[in-house]
Amino acid sequence: MDFLNAIFVQPFADMAGAPDFLLQVVWEGLVGGVLYALIALGFVLIYKSSRIFNFAQGIMVVFAALTLVGLNEKGVPALLALPLTLLVMLVLAVTIERAVLRPLVNQPDIILFMATIGITLFLIGFGEIIFGGENKVMITRELMIPTDSITLDLFGGFVSIEEKDLTSVIGAVLLVAALLLFLNRTKTGRAIRALGDDHQAALSVGISLSTIWVVVWFIAGVIALATGIAWGARAGVSFALEVIAYKALPVLMLGGLESVMGAIIGGLAIGILEKLFEVYWGQPLMGGNTEAWFAYVVALIVLLFRPQGLFGERIIERV
Amino acid sequence: MKKMMKTAALSAAFAAGVALALPASAQEDSIYIPNLSYRTGPFAATGTPLMNGQRDYITLLNERDGGLNGVKLTYDECETGYNTEKGVECYERTKENAVVTQPWSTGITLQVLPKSNVDEIPILAPGYGFSPMADGKVFQWAFNPPSSYWDGASMILKHISDGDLSNLNGKKIALLHLDHPYGKEPIPLLEALAEEHGFTLLPIPVGLTEMQNQSAQWLQIRRERPDFVLMWGWGAMNAGAVTEAAKTRYPMEQFIGIWWSGHDGDLKLIGEEGKGYRSISWSVPVPDSQLVQDIRQYVVEPGKSLIENESELDSVFYQRGLMISAMLVEAIRAAQEEFDTQAPDATQVRWGLENLKMDEARLEELGATGMLVPFETSCANHTGHGGAWMLEWDGEKFVKVSDLITPDREAIEPLEDKEAQAYAEANAPWPVNEECEM
Repeated sequence: MDFLNAIFVQPFADMAGAPDFLLQVVWEGLVGGVLYALIALGFVLIYKSSRIFNFAQGIMVVFAALTLVGLNEKGVPALLALPLTLLVMLVLAVTIERAVLRPLVNQPDIILFMATIGITLFLIGFGEIIFGGENKVMITRELMIPTDSITLDLFGGFVSIEEKDLTSVIGAVLLVAALLLFLNRTKTGRAIRALGDDHQAALSVGISLSTIWVVVWFIAGVIALATGIAWGARAGVSFALEVIAYKALPVLMLGGLESVMGAIIGGLAIGILEKLFEVYWGQPLMGGNTEAWFAYVVALIVLLFRPQGLFGERIIERV
Repeated sequence: MKKMMKTAALSAAFAAGVALALPASAQEDSIYIPNLSYRTGPFAATGTPLMNGQRDYITLLNERDGGLNGVKLTYDECETGYNTEKGVECYERTKENAVVTQPWSTGITLQVLPKSNVDEIPILAPGYGFSPMADGKVFQWAFNPPSSYWDGASMILKHISDGDLSNLNGKKIALLHLDHPYGKEPIPLLEALAEEHGFTLLPIPVGLTEMQNQSAQWLQIRRERPDFVLMWGWGAMNAGAVTEAAKTRYPMEQFIGIWWSGHDGDLKLIGEEGKGYRSISWSVPVPDSQLVQDIRQYVVEPGKSLIENESELDSVFYQRGLMISAMLVEAIRAAQEEFDTQAPDATQVRWGLENLKMDEARLEELGATGMLVPFETSCANHTGHGGAWMLEWDGEKFVKVSDLITPDREAIEPLEDKEAQAYAEANAPWPVNEECEM
């Protein structure tokens, strides 16, 4: 009876008893969810245009953030370091397209996937040589990101909101809006979607595969930079940021590999749900650290009913 | 003539090939010291300064003294990324001719522990590994000087209770720990002490993917309001925790970490906001020590160090790395003297580790006065239990804020004996050191 009470009654009583704390939990989940969504978007864009599952997305987050901080350490002003980092990400996109993807055109998907593992290993080694392995401080203030916190007195308690988290959420929303506009309203954006729908048909109408791959990898680089700034502002910039990319995997399973909207909604849902579960069920009943597996369980349940994910395309192949 | 030339060339090539193929260790004029290091991956930020310190100490001896009593020390790193599987692979790859193995992770140590009996290579795990390894009769090949995790937990509790653990009665103590064998290591002792002294222990695990996003853990701390938070963190987890503590406004003076959670690089992320955070430590940076001056002169200035900038020389972890190599070298030196050999083998180095005497006089001779707690090992005591000091972050650096604290051995020993016996029984037949009569 106590056990059932702990599952079905007590958590909701705790939520109702301390609504300020509940709001804090939801806010923290939302911030985490936005960042998961950003990482998942990087995966989705590349998969959508090239059917490549980009294993290197996590290390691209590290590489972008380290480049930004590293340039600043070398004396480059932060506001100049930002466009220079974008330039580095563009060079990286062109290099990957020329040196890795182009020679592998028409190879099976698994070969391209393995190639992205190779890119990951290269970037880890290259990044270590250039920037070293030590934890670096994100140049939050230099980028004019506010670092104070806002305390809202609510329901007899308080909700604390870090201004840098708020900036991350607003920045992510603007970035996603810009991305959606780009994908839906520009010629290049439509070309990316066309490639995602049908490679052969897109090529037959004159869409350049190599140009689109460079564009898509560059956009993934921009997203990686935004993610790196947001996560780096929370706990520093180090190679540990790469681990966060693993959090995007259940998001992709939940939202579907081809859906931009799925990445966004999946990210937010997993961010909030895993936080609520951890605080109200995981910690009191299971000793905590349920965030390590909760998202995968949710994704697996969804896959049981919708193998293509919530927003993925249902593929019917006729034999 | 042509044939002779060809034969000579082939012979030379073969000889060179054989020489290159032989591990440096096999050459009589060197001692092979492998290190299962991690300079990459999520734990690189904390691993790198430690490895730099270890490496630089060996380089110093080779450059300044021409090696150790005339024999060169060959330091060789095998990158594990703090991954247990890779660590075991590195152990296998480097064990031939090694006089020691340095696993650098509690997970790897636990995997290598049974192998050390078969391969007869001593494990040196300073301040980490399985705490009952202190029992040298049961763990004859494993050493964790100068203090074990259980010593660390005992000393932290002693410090926060002003020396009397009964003062903790009715208090709530959270243990924020990495969800990994290392992070779980102090739990058995803390549980036993909680029961004995009437405080509540609240273990809060942090998963690998949550190291940089500990909001759920710190929400729990906000809800539970523990009187103290102890941290067994590593790598990016430390930086994540101190950032969240500052964000949650948890009083820093109630937040205390084990020695691996006292890294300058982590606290620099929050600077002034981290003021008051403490970390127990068996090593203390002494920037103007003779040893550090020699490192600067013989290793850093000639460009033989891997440090990124000179400020790293004064950090807690770099100087701890120096001390770790100093312990090992002193064990090798002891073996050289005892067995009257220039290049002792692993068995002889094991004897050196069992007869390690790092007292204040020896530390002074090494130019390392005050950098390491004095301790002494024996065949029965593989830790030394030298104690530790409390360090505090002053906003810019860690400073020593206590006299030497010693662990409550009377409380620890029964549990240590019990766990050591349980390990031996679970891994039977487990060879024990019957020659040790202490």
